[in-house]
Amino acid sequence: MVNPVLLIVVPLGLAFTVPLFGFISKKTVKYIPVVAMGFNLILSLLLIPRVLEHPLVLSIGGFPPPFCINLTVGPLGILLSAVIALIGFLVSIYAMDYIRKGSVEKYQMLYILLLVGATGAVLTGDIFNLFVFFEILCISSYALVAYFGDSLGVEAAIKYLIQGAIGSTFMLLGIGLLYGMFGTLNMADIAKNIKLQNSIPISLFVPLALFITGMGVEAAIFPLNSWLPDAHSSAPSSISAILSGIAIKIGVYGVVRVMFTLFGMPSIFHLLLFIGIITLLIGELAAFGQTNIKRMLAYSSIGQIGLIVFALGIATPYGISGGLFQILSHALSKALLFLAVGYMIYRTGSMDISTFQGIGRKMPLTSLAFTIGAFSLIGLPPFIGFPSKFLIVRAALAKKEGILFIVLIFLVLFATIIEGAYFFRVIQVLYFKENKENQDKKDAPFSALVPLIILTVFILFIGIYPKPVMKLLRLASWELLNKMDYIKWVLGAG
Amino acid sequence: MTFLYNYIYYIGCFGLVFIGLYIILVKHNLIKIIIGLNILDTGVNLFLISIGYIKKGTAPIFSNPGINPNRMVDPVPQALVLTAIVIGVAVLALALSLAIMVYQHYGTLNLRKVKQQRW
Amino acid sequence: MRKIFSLIILGILAFGIWYSLKNIPFATHKTKVGKYYVYKGIKETGATNIVTSVVVNYRGFDTLGEVTVLFIAAIGLGAILATRKKKKRKEIEKPSLILYTGCYLLFPLILLFGAYIFIHGHLTPGGGFQGGAIIASAFLLRYLGCPERKINRKASDATESLGGLIFVLLGLLGLIVGGYFLLNFLPKGVPNLLFSAGIIPIIYIAIGFKVGSELAGVIDNLIEESK
Repeated sequence: MVNPVLLIVVPLGLAFTVPLFGFISKKTVKYIPVVAMGFNLILSLLLIPRVLEHPLVLSIGGFPPPFCINLTVGPLGILLSAVIALIGFLVSIYAMDYIRKGSVEKYQMLYILLLVGATGAVLTGDIFNLFVFFEILCISSYALVAYFGDSLGVEAAIKYLIQGAIGSTFMLLGIGLLYGMFGTLNMADIAKNIKLQNSIPISLFVPLALFITGMGVEAAIFPLNSWLPDAHSSAPSSISAILSGIAIKIGVYGVVRVMFTLFGMPSIFHLLLFIGIITLLIGELAAFGQTNIKRMLAYSSIGQIGLIVFALGIATPYGISGGLFQILSHALSKALLFLAVGYMIYRTGSMDISTFQGIGRKMPLTSLAFTIGAFSLIGLPPFIGFPSKFLIVRAALAKKEGILFIVLIFLVLFATIIEGAYFFRVIQVLYFKENKENQDKKDAPFSALVPLIILTVFILFIGIYPKPVMKLLRLASWELLNKMDYIKWVLGAG
Repeated sequence: MTFLYNYIYYIGCFGLVFIGLYIILVKHNLIKIIIGLNILDTGVNLFLISIGYIKKGTAPIFSNPGINPNRMVDPVPQALVLTAIVIGVAVLALALSLAIMVYQHYGTLNLRKVKQQRW
Repeated sequence: MRKIFSLIILGILAFGIWYSLKNIPFATHKTKVGKYYVYKGIKETGATNIVTSVVVNYRGFDTLGEVTVLFIAAIGLGAILATRKKKKRKEIEKPSLILYTGCYLLFPLILLFGAYIFIHGHLTPGGGFQGGAIIASAFLLRYLGCPERKINRKASDATESLGGLIFVLLGLLGLIVGGYFLLNFLPKGVPNLLFSAGIIPIIYIAIGFKVGSELAGVIDNLIEESK
C-alpha cells in the first residue's frame, strides 16, 4: 500500500545518506537527487487516482487527529506535490552537468532538502508543521542563492535572509496568537472554531494580517518583493528555475490555505484582488525596462504571481481553477526559460541581452526552447499559457459585479501586451541580428537538452489537450472553497 | 495592580519584539542587524511560553508517580519553543557566514554601501 | 525620516496586537490538547517527562523537521564558506600550562554531563538538543584552550549523517510494523526506569550525537579563519 508519508520521508533519508556516498565515491553523488525526485514523481502519479475518490488523512504516531500531527492529502496537495516532483526531477538532470564549481556534494543535499520542505508544506494539516517545513524551504534557498560565492550572490542572499527571517517571525507570532485564542494547532480544529461571519473582528484580523505578511515575503506580493530581482538573478540558473517555479508558489499556497480554509469569510477576498493587480502591473512594467536577461525574467515572475493571486481572489470555482492552472503553466514555462538561458549565459559569458545577438543560429535547440517558453508565458494558442489565461479572464467576466471587474480585466490584458513586447524584443535579438563574435558557439550538452525537450513536450501536450488536468483542478478548487468539507474529512462528523 | 499582574509578561516580551524590529529597520551595521534579529526571536519565544502558564503551576514531570496532574502547565508551547529556538540558531549561523563573505567582497559591513545591483 | 516612519509602523502593529491580546487572559487553563497530554501521557507513551513525550512522540514530525533545519544550517555554512580565500596563519600566543591542563581535564567531564542529559531525556528535564549543545560547548572549550587540537572532520560528518538516518529509519520501522510513521513500537516498560518509553530514548540519543557533532563542525568552520 503506498503511503503519502513516503513522499516526504524517502527523499529526506536519501539526503542524509549523501555524505556517506561521498566517502565512497564522488561521482555517484550527483545521481541521488535524480533518484529521489524520480521516486516522488512516480509515487505522486500513482496516488492521484486514489485521492480523486476520497482524500487521505493520515496521522503520524497513531493517535486520533487533533492530538497529533496529521497529513491531509487532498486534490490540491497531490497536484502541487506532482508539480514539485516533476520540475525537481527535470532540473536535477540539468544540474548534473551544470554545477561544477564549489562543493557539489553540499549543493545536492541542499537541493533535495529544498524540495522536501516544499512537498511537506503542501501535504501537512497542522499549522506549526507548515511553519517548520516552510522554514526548511526558506533556509535552503538562502544558502543556495549564495552558492557561487561571488559578490552579487552574497549581497542578494543577505538581503533575502533578513527579509525572510522577519517574515517567518511574523508567522510565528500569528501562530502564537491563534494558539492562545483557540487552544489547538490543528488546521481543521482552528477552522471549526472560527465561525463564518460576514465581517471579521479585529482580534481575528491581526493574526490573518501577520500570516499574510509572513508568507507574503516568500510569495513576493506587492510591498514585500524587493528581494526577488536580486536573488533570482544572482543564483545559479538551475536554482533560479526552482525558486521561480516552486518556492514562490509555496508562499502563495500558504496565504491561500490560511485565507480560505482557516478563515474563509467572503469579505476578505477583495484584498487578494487588489494586491494581485498591483503586483501584476509593477512586475510587468519593471520588466519592460531591463537589459539583464535574468533580472527581466525575475520581474516577470513577480508579475505572474500577481496574476495568480488575482485569479485566486476571484473566489469562484472557475477563478480558483484558473489560478491553479496558471501555477502549473507558469512553473513549466518559467523553468524552461531559466534552463535555456543558463547555457546561453554560460556560452557567451554575460547576462546582458545585447550579447545574445545571433545565438539563434549557433544554439538552435536552446533558442527554440526559449522561444516556446516565451510564447507559452504570454499566452499564445497551442501552448499551455493559453487555456490558463483564458480561464482566468472568463472567470472574471462571469462575476458580474459591475464596472470594477471590467477595469481589472483591461489591466490584465494591458499587462499581457507589455509581456509580449519585451519577450519579442529578446526573440528579435536572438534570431534577427548578426554578430561576428558568436560564430563558433556549440549548442548545450545532452544532459541539458533532455529536460528542455521534456518540458516542451509537456507544454505542447497539456496546451492542446487540457482535459485530464481540468478534473483535478476542479476538485482542488472545491476543496479550497468548502471549508466545512475539509473539517469533516479530518475530524470525522463536523 | 491587577492590570500590571495580568499584562506584565506580555509587555515584556512584546517590548523585546519591538526593540528588535526597530533595530533591524533603522541601523546600518550588519552585525547590529543580526543582533536585532536575535532579540526579535527571543521576544517571540518568550511570548509563546507565556501562553502556557497556569497560576501556581509546576513543571509537567511526574517524578513520583502520585503527583496530581491538575496544576501542571501546558507542555505544548514548550515543545513549540524548542523547535523555534533551533530554527533561530540556524538562521543566525547562516547570517554570520554571509556577513563573513560580505566583508571579504566589499570591505565594509555598512549595508547602505553594499548596493551593487540597483534597479 | 526613516526612524519616524518605522516608529509609525511599529505603533500600528502594537495597537493591533493589543486588541488580540485582550482575548488571551494570562495564567488560565486554555487548551484541551494540553490537558489530554498531561493526563494520558504516561499511559500512552511511558515517559515521565511530558514535554519529551510531546516533542518526540505526539509531535515527532516537528522534531524531524527541526533536525533537518539544523542539518541545512551546518551544510549551508560549509557551502558558503567553501569559496572563501584562506588567510595566512597569524602567530598566536601559546596558552599557559594552567589553561592548557585545565581545558584538557575538563573536556571529558563536560562530555559526560552532556551525555547524562540526553540519555535521561525522558525522565528529567533535558533531552537531545540540550545535551548536544553541551557537548558542542566542550569542543569549543578545547578549541579555545588547546589550539593545536582539531576535530576529525570525516568522523563528525559521518556521525551527523548516521544520527539523522537512524531517526528516519526508526520512523520507517514504525511504519512497517504498525502502519503509522513514528509509532512507538517497542515495549513501554515501567515508568521512571531508564529502559522505558519505547523508542524515545533511542531517538534522543541519536539526536544528541547528531547535534553535538553538527555544532562542533560549525565551530570548526568558523574558527578556521582566525588561526
